[in-house]
Amino acid sequence: MVKAVPLPLRILARVFVAVTVLGLLAPLIVVVAASVSENQYISFPPQGFSLIWYRKVLSSDDYMSAAALSFGLALAVTVAATLIGGAAAIAIHRRKLPYPQLIGAVFISPLMLPTIIYAIGMLMLWSSMFGVVTVFTLWISHTIIATPYVVRTTLAVLSDSDPFLEEAARTMGANRLQRLMLVVVPQCLPGLAAGAFFAFNLSFDEAVLSLFLRKPDLTTLPVEIYSKLEFSPDPSVAAVSSIMIALTVVLIIVIDRVVGIKKFAST
Amino acid sequence: MSDVRLDAIMKSYGPVAVLHGISLDIRSGEFISLLGASGCGKTTLLRIVAGLEEVTSGRISIDGRDVTALPPEKRDIAMMFQSYALLPHLNVFENVRFPLRMRKIGTRAEQMEMAAAALATVQLGHLADRRPRQLSGGQQQRVALARAIVSHPKVLLLDEPLSNLDARLREDMQVELIELHKRLGLTTLFVTHDQDEALSLSDRVVLLNNGWVEQQGSPSEIYDRPATEFASNFIGSANLIDATIVERDGRPMAMLADQQCLALAAGEAARGAVRLALRQEDMQLAASGSGISGTVRTRVFLGAQNRYVVEVAGATIRVLAANAAVYATGDPVVLSIDPARVRLLTR
Amino acid sequence: MTDRTENMLLVGPGLLLLALAFLLPIFQMLSLSVTGPSGLTLLNFVNFLGDPFYLGVLWRTIRLSLLITVICALIGFPLAYIISKVGSTMRLWLIAILILPLMTSVVVRTFGWMVLLSRSGLIPQVLQGLGLAHRGFALIQTETAIVIGMVQVLLPFMTLSVLGVIARIDPVLEEAARTMGCSFLQTVRTVVLPLSLPGIIAGSLLAFTLSASSFVTPNLLGGARIQVLATSIYNSVTQTLDWPFASAQAVILFAGIILTLIPYVRLMGDGRG
Repeated sequence: MVKAVPLPLRILARVFVAVTVLGLLAPLIVVVAASVSENQYISFPPQGFSLIWYRKVLSSDDYMSAAALSFGLALAVTVAATLIGGAAAIAIHRRKLPYPQLIGAVFISPLMLPTIIYAIGMLMLWSSMFGVVTVFTLWISHTIIATPYVVRTTLAVLSDSDPFLEEAARTMGANRLQRLMLVVVPQCLPGLAAGAFFAFNLSFDEAVLSLFLRKPDLTTLPVEIYSKLEFSPDPSVAAVSSIMIALTVVLIIVIDRVVGIKKFAST
Repeated sequence: MSDVRLDAIMKSYGPVAVLHGISLDIRSGEFISLLGASGCGKTTLLRIVAGLEEVTSGRISIDGRDVTALPPEKRDIAMMFQSYALLPHLNVFENVRFPLRMRKIGTRAEQMEMAAAALATVQLGHLADRRPRQLSGGQQQRVALARAIVSHPKVLLLDEPLSNLDARLREDMQVELIELHKRLGLTTLFVTHDQDEALSLSDRVVLLNNGWVEQQGSPSEIYDRPATEFASNFIGSANLIDATIVERDGRPMAMLADQQCLALAAGEAARGAVRLALRQEDMQLAASGSGISGTVRTRVFLGAQNRYVVEVAGATIRVLAANAAVYATGDPVVLSIDPARVRLLTR
Repeated sequence: MTDRTENMLLVGPGLLLLALAFLLPIFQMLSLSVTGPSGLTLLNFVNFLGDPFYLGVLWRTIRLSLLITVICALIGFPLAYIISKVGSTMRLWLIAILILPLMTSVVVRTFGWMVLLSRSGLIPQVLQGLGLAHRGFALIQTETAIVIGMVQVLLPFMTLSVLGVIARIDPVLEEAARTMGCSFLQTVRTVVLPLSLPGIIAGSLLAFTLSASSFVTPNLLGGARIQVLATSIYNSVTQTLDWPFASAQAVILFAGIILTLIPYVRLMGDGRG
């Protein structure tokens, strides 16, 4: 684009980008590398190559039950956040609401508030009202922090769509429900899909709420990893972390295919 | 076939009135243009006929039936939007069939047949499986048109449907719209800000200004006899010059500020202070001869012709002239005009 | 049914959930922070603000958050500018590289840094090998480790925030500046930088807020001795079980963040009006 950039600056820019990219990816590379080490302790660079730690993860009850909990929880959160956030985004986009801006801000607010503050509040409220924390608590609180993502992605897609589609559908005889289901929802689909993947990722990776609301029988995968890290991690932690990284890579590719990640770089 | 009747339509948004009691009778099969600058209320009026906007007061009836309180989906209308509003998730064919599905017109097989026929009308049968995004602007425009006519609505509403096309395509589509209207005879309400479009397409032009009907009539009436200063300015952008009517040798003449006189039609009855509306394309320019003299200030080359800005009696007059003779800045010239083409507006 | 009714039905479930499971817990936390054994009290705040240890924790939180924010801005702005100028394939890759750590669990990323920064880790080893550090040198359980870990966590936020603004700057402006005699760097300084300021400010606030409130990375990289406000809150909740005191600390964090946000909201409001 911009031509006539002095050569030393171009070289500097490349070095800068290379170093930054390395810094960003370094911890992930290290984790993946450590996971295939033959050593009994975590090391980088890795010694040899082996998949024993992956085998160990798959045969570990702790990891597998944590993974099952995280996966089920993430699915439930995805469904709830997508339904709630998608419906809200449609209504907010239409602007025919009392205080549309305020309502829009309320739906985005869990994104603004540091999770730790919300986590304390949720723990205290739940304890005082229902006593023990259950998986239901995690489901609700993850849904609260995942919904803004769905609202945002859906609003982003809607704001790109032709604003006259609903009116056009009216002049073609579509009633209220038909307009919603046959015109508006199909427009939202890419945004809903992207939001759903973000919601899944958020819940699956979430550590703060899960740590505050942790109980021995309510250990999600990130909490399991965290507690291993607090004591003496062996390379099986690296293996399970690598699996999580792989899942994230898959999600990013899927999101890119569905909506294109560039879209979210400019919003 | 149906007629549309608008009865004292008023519309205001809060304290701001955008339509001040518009009444209009549209005959069955008539093609009417609502012409005006942006913000004149023409689109609002169209949306009121569609049912997309509610009236503040007044009544609308279609085919003798009062539809004022009916929502758009219950009115037998079709509307074509400026942005075309094609549903991006449906292919071309399903877009065209959509109004039939929604209005439950015919069986599935009949719907397929009607949609195919409508697509054939706009010569797009071969693109039925495409998505709107894959079409050019002109093709999208035709799909929107097919979708608007597929249900044989009582009233066809067109909201600046040609404004997003380039000049060449627009001319082609104008011809196509005229032919389509002839063939189907749909009562059509066409919104445009383009006077040429309005004059060439419609049976009747309704000129709107600030929420009032400024003038209405056939295209030739509107063009030849603009009733007001606004109309003369909007249609063909006339030169407006103050003059006084005097009588010389028993004939009415218009005397300009510098005492030069312009002959008027023999039967002209107006007297006193008037404003002359002179069309650029009605005037002739010569190096000498009879007429009013002035000085060329600027020449703008337009290809087929030249536009001259001529100073006359302290005012500037724009004249469109052929390329036969070329005058330079400072050249003295004589302007003449057929007395019948001079229009007088009261001051 | 009117449009409004339909839209209220669509937002209704979400609003209800937010009211009961978001606003109410925050209110609960706020009220607990001023609750003592004998009713309303400010004792929790007095205990915090009167204790040099906790004041030290607060100061460290502010200091580290500022440092992390500044480093993120210094790296994030040039990075975003470069991303906005490279070809579209390269841009896609760079954005993907930014998003990957962003979407990876913070626990996993911090684990990576633990491996790299520990006594036997790559970075201390390399520094020792170069003679820049003594034997037994480790970065883990230092403030430096927290800063390194947090910058990596927050750099994607900052970069994407700046990129969102830079991408919307008309490239003609830069070309115009060049034709008016600006060198490349002058153009960046006089045209691009001022126009990206909203993105830099927004990214900085995000980075500051997130670094002030995160506890996974500081806890794992800083250890028990180097406490910041968020880790201190976590300890009060899980170890000393003093929930009112934890609430008071959370309120202080909350207040600090709001105090940081208000001038920004004002600024943006003025800019629009």
